[in-house]
Amino acid sequence: MLDTILKILVYVLTSVGIYGILKKMKETPWWAFIPGLRYYGLSRACEREQDGKIVLGTEIILRILGFVLNRIQPESNLFIAVLVLVVVLIIINVIYIVRVVIGVLHTFDLPQKYAAAWVILPFVFPLILGFNNKYQPVYLGQKIDDELLAGTAPASLTAALDDDPGDDGLVVHVRARKVNELSRFRATRYLLKDINLTIPNGTLVLLLGGSGSGKTTLINAINGYEKADAKIMLNGRDIYKEYGQMKYRIGFVPQQELLRMNDTVIRTLRDAADLRLPKETTPEEKNRIINDVMDTLGLTAGKEGLVSKKSGGMKKRISIGTELISDPDLFILDEPDSGLDGVIARELFERLREIADRGKIVLVITHTPDRVIDLFDKVIVLARDSGKVGRLAFYGSPDEARAFFERDTMERILMCVNKKEDGGEGRADEFIEKYAQLTKERGTSGNE
Amino acid sequence: MSEKLHYRGRIGQISIYLGKMLRMFVYQNDWKVLPMAALIGGLVTFAVGPNMYVTQEGTISGCFALICACVWNGFFNSIQVICRERPIVKREHRSGMHITSYIAAHMIYQMMLCLLQTGIILMIVDVAGLKVHSAGLISKYLLVDMGITMFLTTYAADMLSLAISAFVKNTTAAMTVMPFVMIFQLVFSGGLIPLTGPSAIFTDYTITKWGLQSLCTLGDYNSQPMVTLWNTIWKFRAMEVDGQKPIKLMTDYILKNNKLDEVLLESGMYNGEKAYEYISSNVTHCWTMLGIMVIVFAAAAVIILEFVDKDRR
Repeated sequence: MLDTILKILVYVLTSVGIYGILKKMKETPWWAFIPGLRYYGLSRACEREQDGKIVLGTEIILRILGFVLNRIQPESNLFIAVLVLVVVLIIINVIYIVRVVIGVLHTFDLPQKYAAAWVILPFVFPLILGFNNKYQPVYLGQKIDDELLAGTAPASLTAALDDDPGDDGLVVHVRARKVNELSRFRATRYLLKDINLTIPNGTLVLLLGGSGSGKTTLINAINGYEKADAKIMLNGRDIYKEYGQMKYRIGFVPQQELLRMNDTVIRTLRDAADLRLPKETTPEEKNRIINDVMDTLGLTAGKEGLVSKKSGGMKKRISIGTELISDPDLFILDEPDSGLDGVIARELFERLREIADRGKIVLVITHTPDRVIDLFDKVIVLARDSGKVGRLAFYGSPDEARAFFERDTMERILMCVNKKEDGGEGRADEFIEKYAQLTKERGTSGNE
Repeated sequence: MSEKLHYRGRIGQISIYLGKMLRMFVYQNDWKVLPMAALIGGLVTFAVGPNMYVTQEGTISGCFALICACVWNGFFNSIQVICRERPIVKREHRSGMHITSYIAAHMIYQMMLCLLQTGIILMIVDVAGLKVHSAGLISKYLLVDMGITMFLTTYAADMLSLAISAFVKNTTAAMTVMPFVMIFQLVFSGGLIPLTGPSAIFTDYTITKWGLQSLCTLGDYNSQPMVTLWNTIWKFRAMEVDGQKPIKLMTDYILKNNKLDEVLLESGMYNGEKAYEYISSNVTHCWTMLGIMVIVFAAAAVIILEFVDKDRR
């Protein structure tokens, strides 16, 4: 009897404490009263959603197994099997609760060591954190006013997309990229919103943004890997609607080298050609294309060598070569210069400039843009607003970017919009709003 | 401008990936699985000794050891082949690669490896002087029937580990999962550790059960002498009952009248298993089950890998 009363007391106190925390963190507070779901709520607020899902999942399974265990004959094989499973799940559950708790402590800017206290005394710490006004979440901000940004996609661009898409260049009109997972219980979470750009052919574009600003999400939305609520047109063709054909018109070089290291350079390129060139391509034409790519990227000399024996810069060029083989109209590169020294990186970007000069659109993410900024035509700056949504903070030439942000280098521009906890100035909202205002005034968002 | 272009289809892509795999065989040291098969074959033959297909005990332990070697080879052939290049598969899938072509190329390539490994082990078994030269139950030669069984066992294990490799995200996870699957295969084969009750249901889903059953049938297990019983009785010769030694009396009688072989054969007959009965349908049933496993595991690999695009970055 006493045991039951104690259990209920601990449950109520813990729930009330977490209720306070969830309220402070702007999550659904009543979730605090449902075991498992409470940690999921906490995890969402501190960006450890995956951990929260595991806590929730294990909690549900443990409840079911607990029910089953009471109905199985002890000492039977099935009982032992279920018992082992329960022990394994309890261990996983506790570990992931600790991970969520550490995330909460980080959000409140408290040391990780308090996590042990939380787990041992599950109600004391949540009550203090939830109801003592001294403790407030540090890394949660006010969400940006959506009303202000509503309609920043100019009527001219939307109309152009809807009625008569242009035949040249890349037109990006991302209304939103949201996460729609079955495991989510609440309103949809936005990763990107209102990104509107028109990039002419023959342009080398730098995509700038801090971590979590949505660079990769935008790239994946553009190349159709992760479709967004968007319309993406490449030279007059809808990438989403014609993905089966358009995927061959887009080259994407990820940061990681996706090469089979123990194959030769020439065979790697030849296989890429076999896979990506239309069936109608004659062997002579195929050879010409392969030789052309090797010449452009300086791969001809060591073409018979194994990929694994090549330098970092060379491997990057082979990666680019496998994508370039299908002569894509849009070429996207995610940190192609990572791990390369200045000279090699410069040489690589000069080759990308050459590709752009052939009338292609080359979109590049790099974290060291200043050493090659003179080669770029345009800069896209993405920033994560205080509502954790990636937004367009600027699109224009590098000179215009310097004037807009009143900073002399791209790296300093990045610092402007980066979060404070990442060592930045935390002014993302300010510049997002400023750019929105600017495009409204211009009436042609992103179009110069 | 928007004319529809045609790209390499499924069959065409198989040849691209098969070519890649054959080059990997040379460059990426995949060939090392062949000497490994020879080494394992040698060790197993050494452990099996001359009693395989001579006594029931030698047959069951020898066949089990051979099947273990086959499963081991199959597992190691492909446990890492997909997961080690998973990001490449994801990228290529998005660029037009068909998963069915990719897995089909793996199936062809792995089939060649399994055939070579089976050939190597059989050669060692033959050279080591094991009694494998009698007539076969299905074909003309026992060695051929054994070869088909061992190949199917190796290939089924290979396809199972290919499916695992398609499921896990990296090589570390693959090498963590593999021992569990291996232990399941060995423990639940029902050969050395007889299983009863609910746990016996699992045996039908193991590759080892069907491999072992086939090899034991091919060796005519039920017609072989059983020596364990005699050896156990022999240990009790000195036991007295009411001042007499009945067991000694019995063993002396058997030896004196040269009836030992007859007794051993008789005890083997009583120890016989229906599953090991020397009839061709037993063997073909095992082969069919192994063949079904090959198809099921390969299909599972295709289905699982179709979701590779869902991988997080």
